[in-house]
Amino acid sequence: MKTILQIEDNFANKRLVERVLEPHGYHLLHAADGQTGIDLAFQELPDLILLDMGLPDMDGQTLVSVLRESTELALTPIVALTAWPQEIAGEMAIRYGCNGCITKPIDVNDFPAQIARYFDV
Amino acid sequence: MKLLAASEFSLEDLTAAYNQTRTDYLIPMPMNPNRLHEYMVLYDVDLQRSCVAVEDRAIVGLGMLGLRPHEGWITRLGVLPEGRRRGVGSAMMDRLIGYSLAENATTMWLEVIKGNDPAHSLFLKYNFQPTRELIVARRPPRTMRSVSSILAARKINYLQHEEVIDLHCSRTERMNWLNAVATMNNVRRITAKTIDDDEQDPVHEVPHLSGIRVEFQNGTEGWVSYQATTLQLKRISVEVLHGDSTQVTADLLGIMHRLHGTQDAIVENIPDDDEWQGFIKAGYFEVFRRIEMALDLSSFDR
Repeated sequence: MKTILQIEDNFANKRLVERVLEPHGYHLLHAADGQTGIDLAFQELPDLILLDMGLPDMDGQTLVSVLRESTELALTPIVALTAWPQEIAGEMAIRYGCNGCITKPIDVNDFPAQIARYFDV
Repeated sequence: MKLLAASEFSLEDLTAAYNQTRTDYLIPMPMNPNRLHEYMVLYDVDLQRSCVAVEDRAIVGLGMLGLRPHEGWITRLGVLPEGRRRGVGSAMMDRLIGYSLAENATTMWLEVIKGNDPAHSLFLKYNFQPTRELIVARRPPRTMRSVSSILAARKINYLQHEEVIDLHCSRTERMNWLNAVATMNNVRRITAKTIDDDEQDPVHEVPHLSGIRVEFQNGTEGWVSYQATTLQLKRISVEVLHGDSTQVTADLLGIMHRLHGTQDAIVENIPDDDEWQGFIKAGYFEVFRRIEMALDLSSFDR
């Protein structure tokens, strides 16, 4: 079973992602802020990280920088999940070493396939 | 709906209200209470003169006011979705302008994210005039690893907080509220706030400003100041003293990033000028723009 760490401060968004992905066999972990996200990422070494770029305690970009600096998580797929406009979020995600970017609100029908693609690569 | 002083609310309540006003914002940037506290200290936000709009005991809007000698600054102004289109924003604007007049401010400032048309229209209605566009930019760690800037340097002076403040005081260009001398001075106050009164030990050490002043082999010269936290370089300011603004800016930033290779970097509210081109050469990219706006209060009745 693939493990996905979701770093997201909005509880409604967190629940929505769980409801959409869990039926597809993913095990979801959750962190509501950046520091907890970093701790969980190093502790659990998830197969994929879904990262909200706007977190209350640190910028998502800073968090990606920390993960990408490590040997343990340097290659883990990180997907930015953000309400920022696509033209901003897309470039941000690439520059910071994310594997992709999905803008909110998510398309619940397409979302599982979008996530599956990151495991196929 | 009534307006209450923000000082009547806890930091946690204000943070929650602020985050709710931003849930569907163009660029959502949520905060936690620590971050909001730091924001208020850095930018001289006066909670007694900031307001919270309340309806049926629920917060529906928030507007904060920064006050410095002769100047006011409106910030964190937002209305929760359920309070919109009912005059809440206008009521808070009236209150904040009134407070600034009472404090003998002659100018009020604010920034609005470019593309946030409803807010921009509201501020124009209050006769705020656009003064310039300001850029928010970032640079991921290890973007460039050139040593050319270091090799080009003839002399590097490493600067402490007080020396950095002195340099900021000598700047002639008008700085935005976020980069003004008062803000830089306040970095020390954040540190002071984290001292536990009982223990007299630092609870969480917030670094002061650092800087480097560089003379290059070709006779050019300048300085860069910044706050280096464990994960991020912020409050970055560059001043070119001699030489081409773009190239010297890029060289100064190149040295700074050589010294702090693992940190993410953010620069806020810098003008779109030759120095910005130097930031681009050093690996920065624009994230979004803010429109700085000013309201001349000198002709208002007090």
